[in-house]
Amino acid sequence: MKKSGIISKAFVIFALIYLYTPIVVLMVMSFNSSRYNQMPFDFSFKWYQDLFQNNVLIQAAINSIWIAAVTGVICVILATLLVLGSQALSGRLKNSVQTFMLMPLTIPWLIIGLSILLMIRALDFEKNLFFVLAGHTVISLPYSVLVLQARMQSMDPALEEASASLGANVMTTFRRITLPVLAPAMVAGGFLSFMISFDNFVLSYFLMPSGFSTLPIEIQSSIKFGFTPEINAVSTIIIGISLLCLAIVGLIMGSSIKSLFGKKEV
Amino acid sequence: MKSKKQWLTAPGLLVLLVFAVAPLFIMLYYSFLSDSGAGFTLDNYKVFFQKSFYLSLTWSTIKNSIYVTLISLIIAYPLAYIMAKKLKGIKNIILILIIIPFFTNQLVRVYSWLIFLQDGGIFDAFLNSVSIIEGSLSLLYTRKAVIIGLVHAFFPYMVITIYLALEKVDNALLEASSSLGATKLETFRRITLPLSRPGILSGILLVFVPCLGTFVEPRILGGVNGTVIGTVIEDQFFEIYGWNFGASIAFILLAMVLISMNVLNYLGREK
Repeated sequence: MKKSGIISKAFVIFALIYLYTPIVVLMVMSFNSSRYNQMPFDFSFKWYQDLFQNNVLIQAAINSIWIAAVTGVICVILATLLVLGSQALSGRLKNSVQTFMLMPLTIPWLIIGLSILLMIRALDFEKNLFFVLAGHTVISLPYSVLVLQARMQSMDPALEEASASLGANVMTTFRRITLPVLAPAMVAGGFLSFMISFDNFVLSYFLMPSGFSTLPIEIQSSIKFGFTPEINAVSTIIIGISLLCLAIVGLIMGSSIKSLFGKKEV
Repeated sequence: MKSKKQWLTAPGLLVLLVFAVAPLFIMLYYSFLSDSGAGFTLDNYKVFFQKSFYLSLTWSTIKNSIYVTLISLIIAYPLAYIMAKKLKGIKNIILILIIIPFFTNQLVRVYSWLIFLQDGGIFDAFLNSVSIIEGSLSLLYTRKAVIIGLVHAFFPYMVITIYLALEKVDNALLEASSSLGATKLETFRRITLPLSRPGILSGILLVFVPCLGTFVEPRILGGVNGTVIGTVIEDQFFEIYGWNFGASIAFILLAMVLISMNVLNYLGREK
């Protein structure tokens, strides 16, 4: 019994090492003054200082953030409406609408990106930021929907009925009952969609107009066309931002974050 | 009043129709266009199914996904089992630790493997220092590197789905089984495994299916040895400008995704 306990712990530790080693190495290397991630380790903030003077990367960061912010807001609005509206549906229609809302999760991003690119071509447009936002919205929307649905399902429908039977009109019930219940999930869903968009490379890669880039695109071109040593520092900052978003989502949603995964049942 | 409320779904559904569904139909349309401008043709699909290159490419893409799924299962099942049945207080912390990495940026993750696995990189240095190997393993730019990177990206999904299934398995059932004389192995085979089957199947779905459509990990970690359907599609659009042919390969990929999803769904529904 005791032996199996040790084996269990060793297995968990091994799995965590596999998950974290490369990321931790990357973060540590961002503080190493060597240009090509060579040892010995020599602590310095050099790459962070360089980063704040690298206008290309700063512009890319600004682009990443505002695209993700706009995507997040659009996703929350659309997802809230979708979840509220689908409550009013019933039977098979409700099922199909709910499946349809999550459809983008099942299509590879590669295909979503390419098909929008082909649509731009079919319509004879130039690549522009409108389609970038549309693409980001399509892939990020299901995540907001999942969070809001989880919250909606945990809400007692008797609350809305009670409010209505006590004479509140639809708007009042929404404002005083439904909205306060949904609000935390709206914030959490927004941050989740923000994060999906902020981290997304594939859609930006296919749809971004030339001369415009985001942080993931900068990382890719640094890998492809030659090494930019500030990339370690950028990556570390990106991980930091993702963790911050995740912490916010986790704090708001608490244990129901697990239900996000339970939802995608076969 | 209720009849009006359902219209709230309209904006969201419209966005999905215009920017997710319509583009797929446009892609389907392009996949039947001939490059010479001679109208509709099946040639793009014919080329794919007649050239052995594309068939072996399809097979190696599927094989990649199978490897990644199997290795993920080998890591994820014991991990989920240990978390659900052996660990007490710290299991929530471990669950969070497992969730965190897959919310990190895909490019950052791939790039961190690039640094880690590069010749003379940290991994080689570590193995040299404990004298497991001498020199370099030269893992980077091989299929192995692609699989290492993809398993890293996807196995947490499987840990979570299996964990959620195992958590629901009542410990009393396991105790009953062993007090009735079943060995540990029998209890596992007759009770734990069947009850965790839905979790295993959702896990397979969440690993195998997205794996079919990846191109970033194979491209960056596999180099020329990482060619899969995804990278060939990318080349068609960005290097060769064979858009119509690219569209048809993308559709074949989509078909593979939908077929595997339906098969897995069907297996999940059985009994």
